[in-house]
Amino acid sequence: MTDQQTRRDILKAGATGMTAALAQMSLPSFVFPAQTEDEDLVPFLDMPRTGPNRLDWETLDEWLTPQDQVFSVQHYGVPEFETEGFQLEITGLVEKPQTLSLDDIKAMPKQDQLMTLECSGNGASKGFMNAVYNSKWTGTPLAPILKQCGLKPEAKEIVFFGVDRKEETLRKDTKRELKVEVPFGRSLSVEDAMNLNLLLAYERNGEPIEHRNGAPIRLIVPGWYGIANVKWLKRIEVRDRRYMGRYMGRDYVTVRGERKDGEVVFVESSVTRMNLKSIVARVTRQATDDKGVPVKAYGAAWDDGTGVKQVEVKVDDGPWQTAKLDEEPHAKFSWTFFSIDLGHLKPGKHTIVSRAIDVNGRIQPSADDDEIALKKTYWEAYQQWPREIELES
Amino acid sequence: MQKTRQRRPLGNPIGAIVFLLAVTTFAAVNAEEPQTTETPTGSEASQDAGTVQGTVYYHPDPKRKWRYQRFYVKNSKVGQLAEAVVVLTPEKRSREKSTHKPQTVTVDQKNFQFTPETTAIQAGDRVKFLNSDNQVHNVRSYHPFRSFNVSMPAGKEHVETFAKAGRIKRPYQIGCVYHSSMRAWIYVFDHPNFQVTKTDGQFELKNVPPGKYKLEMVHPAGELQWSQEIEVNAGKTETVDINVSPDDVNKKDS
Repeated sequence: MTDQQTRRDILKAGATGMTAALAQMSLPSFVFPAQTEDEDLVPFLDMPRTGPNRLDWETLDEWLTPQDQVFSVQHYGVPEFETEGFQLEITGLVEKPQTLSLDDIKAMPKQDQLMTLECSGNGASKGFMNAVYNSKWTGTPLAPILKQCGLKPEAKEIVFFGVDRKEETLRKDTKRELKVEVPFGRSLSVEDAMNLNLLLAYERNGEPIEHRNGAPIRLIVPGWYGIANVKWLKRIEVRDRRYMGRYMGRDYVTVRGERKDGEVVFVESSVTRMNLKSIVARVTRQATDDKGVPVKAYGAAWDDGTGVKQVEVKVDDGPWQTAKLDEEPHAKFSWTFFSIDLGHLKPGKHTIVSRAIDVNGRIQPSADDDEIALKKTYWEAYQQWPREIELES
Repeated sequence: MQKTRQRRPLGNPIGAIVFLLAVTTFAAVNAEEPQTTETPTGSEASQDAGTVQGTVYYHPDPKRKWRYQRFYVKNSKVGQLAEAVVVLTPEKRSREKSTHKPQTVTVDQKNFQFTPETTAIQAGDRVKFLNSDNQVHNVRSYHPFRSFNVSMPAGKEHVETFAKAGRIKRPYQIGCVYHSSMRAWIYVFDHPNFQVTKTDGQFELKNVPPGKYKLEMVHPAGELQWSQEIEVNAGKTETVDINVSPDDVNKKDS
């Protein structure tokens, strides 16, 4: 794909999707701005190497992530099945159940969705830092199809089942142990399903979705963590009560202490929308001069579509400094790249950290903030992530 | 009902392809030199045998960036490639029974990375896996010759014997089930003519019986492959520098 094509596609996506501020701009290529030829990468200290199919932060220069840096996580294995004759069922509490072939879906109105998709465990440890990517998904909107099917008045929840299945053991090692084979499923309220601009996607960045990423049809839920974006989508079922499958009710459940009148009360909640987050992707330097080492930092910030207003960067115990946000490319549900000239630093070790601030004034917390420190589970790892570097003189 | 494919070490079909392509490596360019991976290449040079030596160089192309370069090429102007497995594969396999005395090498899990990432040993050698992180890791490998899956709480040791040579085509690819970015490769040979390069990119294969060989180089983490026919003569030293470029990245097995 050439830059020009990409640009046009992005503009198209902006016009048809829920994005803002894409019109009338002259897009440069999708690279971090202001990085010059004489800037050298300063590697982060003590970070594991980036393997294939993971975002390589230090070489990040494309706004839409190339396929070889796209992660895939699945809980019931990658299912093997014939996509020929594949059909998607819409069933349950609807007036007119439907069965759609891939051709039926592709014949429906086409829509693009620019979106950053992050695994909710991303950032939980040094060993899992790269499970995030930005894409242009193409498919057809789900809401009109659901309307056409006619939701019955008692419909409360919509469950999305994948092809992948596994035997689950409940109440393991007790007298009431129960083994049951279930399909992978996640659910949304009817309200969310009708209003979040869900997509039945079959393309990513203009190419058919790779099998490991959910082909032939993947549910796209803008602004929600990866787990909600059900892969190998097979059945959409409308129900009158809450679905409590493992990945809604038992796993992907955040357990967090909240302070109430001086007491810490633990609350369990299902992992849903993405949290405000930023990270320093790369630090570069130029040749040392009289004043020290000229250093710049680059990174990305994203959220659930609320809107990143500002990113600040701090070196060691210094003040927070405002980074420059790329005005383009920009899309509501996609990450925004930022850059900052940190001036001259002394040779030696430094810590560089970023924090995002959204349009409502919410600030990305640090690891010792209550909402992170009292979180007992690793999902929703959106704390600030300090980067360690060492500048040689 | 559909069949469910078990996760491979890299957890996806691409990983499986990489696994089959048999690619290699070890410790970080900036990390300390591994202490326990001295390749058992024999003792003093013999007059009845030859030597093959050289340096592995990676030649970058600014237009075709190889994103792993920063891990394995310390000086991009010189291009010495670290963590490449260099091996002399004999045209005819020896029928003599191995007299190799098994050794134990160590692979640590440190800072969410296998250290070294690439290890080359002889059949019968043991690998002692350690976990120096204050974190639960795991060591697992799916291999036609031997599969294992061992939980590694902080401080645990696990010793695995590699009895059968997978040679250059079939390394034992090692992963951690909890941290899929962690990768390691164990190359097992049925002869002593192999080495893993350090940051200077150099190799020296001594005491090689005269004959026709294929000099092969793989760099599994970097997905590089190279090979050339070579003849080894008694009492002589052949110097062969191995030059690779983006053309050799992710090359299909020939």
